[in-house]
Amino acid sequence: MRLHLGGHLAWYDPQKRSWLELPLPDPTSLVELVRQLRLPEGEIAVVAVNGRAARLEEAIVSDGDRVELYPPLGGGS
Amino acid sequence: MAYGGTGKILRVDLTRASVSVQEFGEDLYRLYPGGRALAGYFLLKVPRGADPLGPANALVLAPGLLTGAPLSTATRFTAAAKSPLTGAYGESEAGGYWGPELRMAGFDAIVITGRAERPVYLWVHDGQAEIRDAGHLWKRDPEEAQETIRQELGDKMIRVLQIGLGGENLVRYAALVHELRHYNGRTGMGAVMGSKNLKAVAVRGSGHYLDLAHNPQALAELGRTLAKKVKEHPQSWDMQVKGTPMLVGGLNAAGILPTRNFRQGVFEGVDKVRWEAYEKELLTARRSCYACAVRCKREIAVNDRYQVSSSYGGPEYEAIAGFSSNCGVDDLQAVAKANELCGRYTLDTISTSSSISFAMECFEHGLIGLEETGGIELRFGNTDAMLKMIDLIARREGLGNLLAEGTRHAAEVIGGDAHYFAMQVKGMELAMHDPRGKVSVGLGYAISETGADHITAFHDTLFANPASITFQSAAPLGITEALPARELSSKKAAIYAVGENWSSLGRVIGFCYFGPAPRSFIQVDEVVSAVRAATGWEVTVQDLVRIGERATNLARAFNAREGFSRKDDTLPDRLFAPLENGPLAGVGISREEFEQAMTALYIAKGWNPETGMPTRDRLKALDIEWAADAMEAA
Repeated sequence: MRLHLGGHLAWYDPQKRSWLELPLPDPTSLVELVRQLRLPEGEIAVVAVNGRAARLEEAIVSDGDRVELYPPLGGGS
Repeated sequence: MAYGGTGKILRVDLTRASVSVQEFGEDLYRLYPGGRALAGYFLLKVPRGADPLGPANALVLAPGLLTGAPLSTATRFTAAAKSPLTGAYGESEAGGYWGPELRMAGFDAIVITGRAERPVYLWVHDGQAEIRDAGHLWKRDPEEAQETIRQELGDKMIRVLQIGLGGENLVRYAALVHELRHYNGRTGMGAVMGSKNLKAVAVRGSGHYLDLAHNPQALAELGRTLAKKVKEHPQSWDMQVKGTPMLVGGLNAAGILPTRNFRQGVFEGVDKVRWEAYEKELLTARRSCYACAVRCKREIAVNDRYQVSSSYGGPEYEAIAGFSSNCGVDDLQAVAKANELCGRYTLDTISTSSSISFAMECFEHGLIGLEETGGIELRFGNTDAMLKMIDLIARREGLGNLLAEGTRHAAEVIGGDAHYFAMQVKGMELAMHDPRGKVSVGLGYAISETGADHITAFHDTLFANPASITFQSAAPLGITEALPARELSSKKAAIYAVGENWSSLGRVIGFCYFGPAPRSFIQVDEVVSAVRAATGWEVTVQDLVRIGERATNLARAFNAREGFSRKDDTLPDRLFAPLENGPLAGVGISREEFEQAMTALYIAKGWNPETGMPTRDRLKALDIEWAADAMEAA
């Protein structure tokens, strides 16, 4: 699975990565994955799985998926 | 006692070719401490009904109270005048280096009136000013003009604020630029400068901000603390590493990346124009504004499908969305070229790209044809047509001459359904943020004195989750209840009003939108500390919020005097219609909820909900009852 830590979510990755490759032998709850990665749930505002909007609490993700997480996005120049 | 200001305003009358210095003491500066507050103060003295492109209009250039202090993101200055694009109060901020340099040259602001007989430029240095001939600079690209001015004045460090061809040709959304990459983009300040036959304002100063500050040691210490925080705070870290281009992917995933003139919110070509592509195809370096550790400016070079000069800086989010998704173009190099052309011609990238996407939709609906476009197939996705139109707009040739007037006027001339495709408020085109996914951005577009501005307050998404750092950092402002991004209610209006005053304060004291909380890393109490250290004034958060509110009320009074009212505070019809694709497909803004929220907003601001204008009582409470007199005299 490819996991995108959009915007400042990448700051929470110890290696400051924006894209992570994660092997997923079995379908997994996205929110559980987020907790394992120690990402702050309060900072996740937008979730997309394979380009479609999803809810963090409900999404089940599988190997081969492209999952995007974004924080609150506040505009700018 | 030192309080951060110089106490001097430079007055320039180009008709009389005269310069003078106006004393502006601490008592006045407390009420109008820089930036848009000073701008409002001086613009309310412009004769009502003045032609924005005539000699009576005033162009005010004003650094913020803290601009030039050694504080990250305290770099901004305001350019303001009656807008030739809207006929209303016009204002635009830029960071960079020019604002700090003016403060170091000994002035709190420059107020320019009149019109020179021939092209001139202004040379300001250490308390002195002179008007110099610019006949040899007119029609020259900013890069060449800047180099020539520096050579003839013998100083490579001179900061040159100037216009290019778009400003000289009075394109109504022409910008100002300095250092070839910092723009006062919005509301047509470049056209105002062009109408005055003023090519540039060159500035050099040898002063130091800390010599003006009440407590220089405390200010310097705060500056060091903030600089260290940049990498330790997720939002400022993000701005440094990626900058505004990172917004592209996230807004697309949220279903609100403006696409094909705001018809859609998801762009199928997003992977070709998002940050990762930018980093790979364009990026060469990261740069800073004056004394700012964030370093969010991008430097680029392209020598591939397009040749893009590295002189004019890299595109920000607004230019990327405007010239890619909103024009249906999935070529980031073409976007970079469009951005370079806008820099070279000093055109606002938002209004320019929106004028082109408007024209593309008119063309696809048969409202204009090949005869009007000069044979150009002006369809969404036609990259070469998009780039050609930028040239035509700057030169005011063919269809470009009409689009140079802005989409509101162009729609009136084209007729038919064209008005539906003009994505503007009060005549100014929408920034690349779709309020159908964050509705108080729509309140801001509607109520903003300048037209559809996206940084009048803070976007709903920052206050949607009580566990988010943005929401929690807003608590000192009194924002204590999280609301969904699409909730349009009186509670949302109240949050907007708080955010508007705080955002306005930033534009008075010179902080960038990417500095203070809730948008980024400088906490509310640190903003208070900065103002106290600079001025010695024992201000509270509430005092600062009032400064921001006062500035907005001055701008509003200006508009009231010009005949604006609640009827002008609206949104383009398209935003009340559903988005065509993506996660928000089928979602539009409810007109009923919008009007109710606007009523709540006027009440929250102490304004008359029927007229949408400030009451005498509110203006009196803000210590600007004279603004009520100015309104009523009209």
